[in-house]
Amino acid sequence: MIDFEYIRATDLASAVGAGAAASTRFVAGGTNLIDLMKLDVERPSHVIDINDLARRDPSLAAISELPDGGIRVGGLARMRDVAWDARVRERYPVVSQSLLLAASGQLRNMATIGGNVLQRTRCPYFRDTAMPCNKREPGSGCSAIHGINRTEAVLGTSERCIATYPGDLAVALVALGATVHVHSPNGQERALPIANLHVVPGAHPEVETVLRPGELITAIDLPALAAARRSLYLKVRDRASYAFALASAAVAVELDGRNIRDARVGLGGIATKPWRSREAERLLVGKQATEQTFRAAADAALAAARPQRDNAFKVTLAKRTLIRALTEVTA
Amino acid sequence: MRSLNDREPIQPGDDAPDFAFAYGGATHRLFDFRGSPVVLAFHGAEWDPARAEHIETYNKLIASLGGVAGARLLQIGGAGPWRDLSFTDAALSLPVLAADSAVARQYGVGSEPAVFVIDAGGVVRWSQVGPMSLVSPTDVARAISVVAAPFVHEPTASTGEPNEAPSAGWTRRDFVATALAAAFALALRPVEAHAERAARLAAPASTVRPVTLTVNGRQLSLSLEPRVTLLDALREYAGLTGSKKGCDHGQCGACTVHIDGRRELSCLTFAVMQEGRRITTIEGLASGEQLHPMQQAFITNDGFQCGYCTSGQVMSAVAVLDEPWGPTDDDVREAMSGNICRCGAYPGIVAAVQEVRRAQATNGGGNRQ
Repeated sequence: MIDFEYIRATDLASAVGAGAAASTRFVAGGTNLIDLMKLDVERPSHVIDINDLARRDPSLAAISELPDGGIRVGGLARMRDVAWDARVRERYPVVSQSLLLAASGQLRNMATIGGNVLQRTRCPYFRDTAMPCNKREPGSGCSAIHGINRTEAVLGTSERCIATYPGDLAVALVALGATVHVHSPNGQERALPIANLHVVPGAHPEVETVLRPGELITAIDLPALAAARRSLYLKVRDRASYAFALASAAVAVELDGRNIRDARVGLGGIATKPWRSREAERLLVGKQATEQTFRAAADAALAAARPQRDNAFKVTLAKRTLIRALTEVTA
Repeated sequence: MRSLNDREPIQPGDDAPDFAFAYGGATHRLFDFRGSPVVLAFHGAEWDPARAEHIETYNKLIASLGGVAGARLLQIGGAGPWRDLSFTDAALSLPVLAADSAVARQYGVGSEPAVFVIDAGGVVRWSQVGPMSLVSPTDVARAISVVAAPFVHEPTASTGEPNEAPSAGWTRRDFVATALAAAFALALRPVEAHAERAARLAAPASTVRPVTLTVNGRQLSLSLEPRVTLLDALREYAGLTGSKKGCDHGQCGACTVHIDGRRELSCLTFAVMQEGRRITTIEGLASGEQLHPMQQAFITNDGFQCGYCTSGQVMSAVAVLDEPWGPTDDDVREAMSGNICRCGAYPGIVAAVQEVRRAQATNGGGNRQ
């Protein structure tokens, strides 16, 4: 790891101001950044520690009620605290489950919510500086497309990048339609739907989000949503615990008898960004909660899939994951 | 996460961003040239280093290295059919690294030519962004003497006088540099005087700072670079080798310690970030000769074989009982999944955790020391 200047930020304004400089990274939990720094994938000259911001402003790490019945989660809240929060578990099971099925107990104690949604891909070629990677070094080429691509994405890919977005929480959040609050270096706050936070790689895989230099996620709002109480995160992976998803489904359903009044569908492990399938949702709403309905929704969700040599299994796996998630959540 | 567009030019002292390029049928990376200085030049399509005025720039550079008999750019390094780059040979060919401006953007180079001198460690030690003819040979020489210094001798304290730079270290060495020509799609501007573009030279900065850690109730005063992880600070600086380095990437759990009472991975946090927090390692778990109940339970239940993961397992297990997990064996397995045991002592580990859980439930007390 190269050496760097360490700065402990004491207030939000100076943090985002310093964070706007080139080759600068924020660190909170450090679980993703420090890993990548050890790999030489991240080589910041300045690292700004934002943990103390929550001492000055506890709301940055708090979990609090919103007037409309939603819940606000501070950007510096730890995965563990959100996962076990009684209100989150009761009103947003999919959020709690997505967190508890991610990482390990130690990592969940460290990693923050803001950092979690921004975690970088686990594409082995992105993590190996000996290999070309358009995301890491724009224009150098994609090693995965003609390489070992079992874990790569089948949705949202481009000819420049097929790297999977690895996270779980953001998949639940796009399904719910959460709102991300961002503090900008110019002192302004802005809010955006989390579905707009991440971008597909297209011609610029090095650009992963719409965040501008120095911008910091200060909070994420879970919306008041009837379907959220009947929600579920199903994660399928190579081992029973502590592994990234090969396929996952975040589903939330509001039922009227067996009729589906509202449905939300997020898919993970198979796409280049946290994937919301409005195609699947459209085929669920107003229908009876039957296997036939779920199957049609799953087919629609994966209709645009473009599998590579080693990951065609993900198309089938993702469909079955979604069908099972819908079956369980409507049982 | 950030776009690489619109960044400031790479400065002396910055790490030279790595990039890949194809040449001679093979893919190379800038990092491959670590160990040798590299001169990286960005130039317009019409810029031909073989042309007289460009050679002149480099010849001045060479000539300014006083007393360097026969010094020349020996090679355009790396594998492949690259030609020796001799400035008496007008027929040289340089690899074109990128037909687009991706590499130039990485270096913050816009529409002007630029030269970066990169030392053997991959750090930019000198740069000139702007018209090539303004490159001062003494400035380049000064930069190169610094670049070469690690291989020859420690440079004496610089007075900033450019004339002192061509040091004796060069006289017995050939000047081996790797010249790469990159990103030709730049629009060259007319030459104009830019006095303010004087070459900048960065001295290697030390970032060592005092760091005070509270470990097992004691204050430890250490001098650390920010990049030192808590695990390395404990093991290599504080002599507390109970916390183990398994994978060093947060995938095995061997480095687990408690920070403010919670289990965390000491390999994925910098020590400097932990000032003011209460750190407990395996060394701090027992009370004198009295083992912590979890330590004793691991012994009783045969919860380890080789023992390498054990301190992390024990630290994790102690903290797990303060987390709101359920009581079943499966709950324990899930809660402990961040601690990998290559020997496969999992049945004993689960049994140990369950034994302590049951004892706690009976005693109604916490498990902390």
